[in-house]
Amino acid sequence: MRGSDSPLYRLEDLAFFYGERFELHIPKLDIPEGCTIGFIGPNGGGKSTLLKILSFLEHPHQGTILFSGVKVTPDANPFRRQVTILPQEPYLLKRTVFENVAYGLKVRGEKQGIRKKVHEALEQVGLMPGSFTSRSWHELSGGEAQRVALASRLILRPRVLILDEPTTSVDQSSALLIKESINACRRKLNTTLIISSHDHLWLNSVTHDIRKVYQGRIVGFATENLIFGPWKKSTDSLYEKILPDGQVIHAVSPQDAGATAILDPSDIVISTAHPDHLSAQNTLSGIVTQLSIEPFSDTMIMELNCGGQTLLCRITSNAARELNILPGERVWAVFKASSLRWY
Amino acid sequence: MDYLAQGLIDAIRLLMSLDEETFSAILTTLRISSLSILMSLSIGIPCGFGLGYFDFPGKKPIRSVVDTLLAMPTVVVGLFVYAFISRRGPLGEFGLLFTIPGIAIAQTILVLPIVISLTATAIESLDRRVRFTLISLGAKRSQIALASLLEARYAVLIAVITAYGRAISEVGVSMMIGGNIKWNTRTITTAIALETGKGQFSMGIALGIVLLLLAFLVNGSLAFLRKRS
Repeated sequence: MRGSDSPLYRLEDLAFFYGERFELHIPKLDIPEGCTIGFIGPNGGGKSTLLKILSFLEHPHQGTILFSGVKVTPDANPFRRQVTILPQEPYLLKRTVFENVAYGLKVRGEKQGIRKKVHEALEQVGLMPGSFTSRSWHELSGGEAQRVALASRLILRPRVLILDEPTTSVDQSSALLIKESINACRRKLNTTLIISSHDHLWLNSVTHDIRKVYQGRIVGFATENLIFGPWKKSTDSLYEKILPDGQVIHAVSPQDAGATAILDPSDIVISTAHPDHLSAQNTLSGIVTQLSIEPFSDTMIMELNCGGQTLLCRITSNAARELNILPGERVWAVFKASSLRWY
Repeated sequence: MDYLAQGLIDAIRLLMSLDEETFSAILTTLRISSLSILMSLSIGIPCGFGLGYFDFPGKKPIRSVVDTLLAMPTVVVGLFVYAFISRRGPLGEFGLLFTIPGIAIAQTILVLPIVISLTATAIESLDRRVRFTLISLGAKRSQIALASLLEARYAVLIAVITAYGRAISEVGVSMMIGGNIKWNTRTITTAIALETGKGQFSMGIALGIVLLLLAFLVNGSLAFLRKRS
């Protein structure tokens, strides 16, 4: 069934509607087998719909999905059991933890070694089988429930594991355990991981291939900043957006007052002192909120809070060391008005 | 008011002495209501599940009819069932009039809309995530249907207990179809009606106490299950 040269997923001219509203439009997307791909973007942008389509829970109203080179339709989908999704708010069946984790194996008709597999799956997500297997669904904390739901997917040894905002409602230690579990799954089984998250730094620690989903479209890569309108004309050639603390972002000719600008984090220069001598139109003061290493590169992503506007900036690890930048410090972000592209 | 106090004392004496006539009515009530509940569940749960789970043409009108029948007066059920099972009726040859199975059939018709409607509501009220979860774990259509019913089990049990409460407390059907025959078809409710008419309050109060205890048991179970669901 597998086409050796074809990607695992190929989405072509895909569209999904909610009523009259255009929810998702993807002209083309390839996802290779064994990769980890992340999707990031604001709420309502279409991430969850995309993940439901990739997990075959929803079918697009238009376009085609090829899985392993085979066209998938709602009535003919031999791959349904190879793909599983952990939703943002997973539902646990009103049964014990053991029965929840074992359910997927039982519906596949497996009878041998279920207990051992359940114990292994629970250990994989950091839950002690001895104290958890007999617990009821309502005797778990939010993080424990999330991990039981993940264990019930991992036990299936899926070809594709899809996670929708897996760390939204869990504490830091659960987020770390989830990361370790899915990384182990990928290493051992070559499982393809597809993950959506708001948590850019967490997602960045899992994969470097992160796409931004905005207003139903894949608009680029994750670290690109989205700056929403409204824009007001300030001079003949410039428009401005006033931030909550009074700072101003200047841009060149947006399509309309409500346009959204995209800013590449590599186009932002960071300074620890106020940069009086630079000619760029935008100089924003901000507090460093987070720093993270970009996988497979010598760069870091720095998250700044500039008067309520979050900006992601890319700096080299050397520059971060030389400037001695730490979270909590005030820095200045400098970029040209012409660096803002329009969505 | 003395006769009421005396009636209560006599009632407790009747219950404590395990009075045969009193306990005959209690046992008859339990036999009839259990039989009618078994019949109504075997028909009502599959019908209610189908009505709540599947989408099909005519679903809404059927649902409206079932919901309307929830308020069906017991005497109307009694009237129709009497017409069918009396000697002149189409089912007269089975000799069901004035028998326990006859009352059970009429009670089944009375409580069937409760079982169907509440089961359908239980299935319709299931969390939307149940279906997605079961699909994502690899369940097939029949497995999804069965697991959905299991997920709604506490709400379905509420339907069962509500129906049981209606069955043990109704009087019209038992009186019309059963005929209130002593040692035979006399139930708690028909005995209370008769004894009250005769001015014999002690047995009426004794049976009333038992009925109230059963009602408390039913309501207690309902409260527990609502919490679980």
